[in-house]
Amino acid sequence: MIASLRAVLAIAALDVAVWLRSRWALAAALLPPLGMAVLVGLLTVAVGQQPVALVVEGHGVLATRLARLYVADRDAYLLSVVDRRTAEDALRDQRVAAVIVIPADFDERARTGDARVVLELNNVDIDVADDLRRATARSVAELDAPQLGLLGELHGPTEGIVLPSPYRVAIAERDLRDANVGFLQYQVVPILIMVVIGVGTLSNAMLASRERERGTARLLLMAPPRRWVLLAGKLLGALLSTGAVLGPLLALGAAAGALRPPPAHWPALLALLAVTSAMASGLGLLIGLASRRPRVVTMLSLNAAIVLFFLGGGFTTVAFMPDWLQTVSLAVPTSYAIEALRQALFYPDLAGFGRDLAAVAAFALVTAGLGTAALGRSLGQT
Amino acid sequence: MRSGPRVVWAAARLELQLVARDRLFVALTVLAAMSFVAMVSLFGLTGSRAPMALIDRDGGPEAARFIDATNRAHHSFRLLPMDAAEADALLARGRLVGSITIPAGFSERVASGQTVVLDVRLDNVNVDLSNDVQRALPAAIVIFGRESGFPGLRARVEEHDVVSHDTGYIPYLAVSALALDAFVLAAALGALAVAREWEGRTLKLWQVSPAPPFGLLAGKLLASCSVAAGALAAAVLFIGLAFGVWPIAPLALAGALLACVVIFGCVGAWLGTVLRRSAPVVPLTFGLVLPLYLDSGALEPTRFDGDAIWIVAHLTPLYYAVGVLEWAFHGLQVTPEPVLVDMAVLVAFAAAAVLATRNALGRARP
Repeated sequence: MIASLRAVLAIAALDVAVWLRSRWALAAALLPPLGMAVLVGLLTVAVGQQPVALVVEGHGVLATRLARLYVADRDAYLLSVVDRRTAEDALRDQRVAAVIVIPADFDERARTGDARVVLELNNVDIDVADDLRRATARSVAELDAPQLGLLGELHGPTEGIVLPSPYRVAIAERDLRDANVGFLQYQVVPILIMVVIGVGTLSNAMLASRERERGTARLLLMAPPRRWVLLAGKLLGALLSTGAVLGPLLALGAAAGALRPPPAHWPALLALLAVTSAMASGLGLLIGLASRRPRVVTMLSLNAAIVLFFLGGGFTTVAFMPDWLQTVSLAVPTSYAIEALRQALFYPDLAGFGRDLAAVAAFALVTAGLGTAALGRSLGQT
Repeated sequence: MRSGPRVVWAAARLELQLVARDRLFVALTVLAAMSFVAMVSLFGLTGSRAPMALIDRDGGPEAARFIDATNRAHHSFRLLPMDAAEADALLARGRLVGSITIPAGFSERVASGQTVVLDVRLDNVNVDLSNDVQRALPAAIVIFGRESGFPGLRARVEEHDVVSHDTGYIPYLAVSALALDAFVLAAALGALAVAREWEGRTLKLWQVSPAPPFGLLAGKLLASCSVAAGALAAAVLFIGLAFGVWPIAPLALAGALLACVVIFGCVGAWLGTVLRRSAPVVPLTFGLVLPLYLDSGALEPTRFDGDAIWIVAHLTPLYYAVGVLEWAFHGLQVTPEPVLVDMAVLVAFAAAAVLATRNALGRARP
């Protein structure tokens, strides 16, 4: 028994060593998640605030108050207060996405209930345009109903202070958590999942394909250990290969503060990553046995990673997708892994985590089982 | 035929035969590029209309009008009517962005001029979504108040749009993703064409061949770029059929895509020369293209992202390609530079890429 265990460990250690020496395969597995990390960094700049020019032509009390409301809303706008001509130039040159004009007759018309704020909007795509439409509407609403501003939503009716509003509706916002999770931190999930999928599938696909391409599988068959020892060693090697890359990244993420689950969630998080790695490893084995050519294996792994990543909700949230896509994603193992990962990282409890973990484990059993069986058959045919 | 064109033609024919032998790899590359377009579009599907539980304990006419206003608040919410227990359970699982509770007596109290407080629970796990909700609810209330004609409302927003029509997020994203497709397809095929010479140890034959190496390279790139152009045409068709987005300036589209194919085909050939193996090329191009793609105005005009990002964007041909493509499909000007300038820069990039590849291959030793 000890000899068999030693053999399992030796086979696994050999596979890990080969994988870590495959510079290009490592690069191929890590570059897409690295690219994604840079993309997320850029997205942090792109989402949220939009550059806007504010032109204040009115000098009355209300116009001045409204201008102050715009300036104060730093969450919504990257605002510059300029004259009309500068603003028009900036809009034309796309230095701003919109120009907001508080006209000279604002106070006068406000007395008859007909004041207007002009929004000149570069509605080049609806995402940017709607962001600005929402933000501008809120700022104007605040003029007549201060409780509709962010502070009003968070600290007005929520704390029992209800002021009469001409809109006759106020909001008492109750947040589920103490602090918002920053966009960058929120996007750690897709990067982590990309690493697990990329490394898990590609490492094992390359290792399996390599054995067949070089004919070294024959040597394994002639070795003294029994077939189950070979398969167990290969499977362990597959898991450790993923762990060898994932481990340092997790440590780095935790040290940098990008990965901050509640302390009690660490065991659950590690279990989830181990099971997801097993699922990806099994898939990698299947891919590696499907072709002997490294470039085809790489491409098959990449295609699998794209589908697993996107349909699993890596770039968005599955629950926010249309119903038919949510149905499709039920058959995608990463949808459970990503949901469980978000639960473990961002939520105070582990509600639903067990169900998701069980689902990923079931997928892992299927892929690892099929992969091992295919490897066994492949060895038999060698 | 003179010997130069004959060499190019012969090399192109040979390369096409080799590509045909490698059709599984080519098919998988095309599939990866196409599925990336489809998957990026998912981002557009979920960029708006966040799922929000609606617990209507009133059921009266004012509540119905408020719900209607919320549904029209700038593509913000997908309201899902349900009871409080279900909303709590789904919120705890991260399945909803929040819940809005309209209290009993809402209609009666609003009709009598009182201010009614809506209980809003927000899953503030993602600051971007939280901000959208925090802005959208007042916007919905403004629509409700304005349409109800309540007294005491003094100001409103008068919107003047620069573009005569709104462009949906998916059509915008899908078009810009074509530039990314061009990068992945042309670079992968260009790299394969060159790396295969190292993998098959046939590069040394180039050294002893009487044909000029540049002629051989040009022939190989002609073939791989033709295949990439064909695959891109299929991607254009896919976007048209799947999203109903067709070009309004087909010639500009063809010009931009051809320039992209040449540029990225040469970039691929250069990568193939440097790496000398084909397997890591596609993941490498995907890794490179993700940040470049976003910095090219794929999600919104790059100029909106500030000076630093905009200046860096000028270094990549994707910026100019997205500029031309958005104009060719939607008539949108997404770069401050005129579209003709974007096109001219693309052509200049293509010429520079050809020269750089020639030099790189000239220095390479088998």
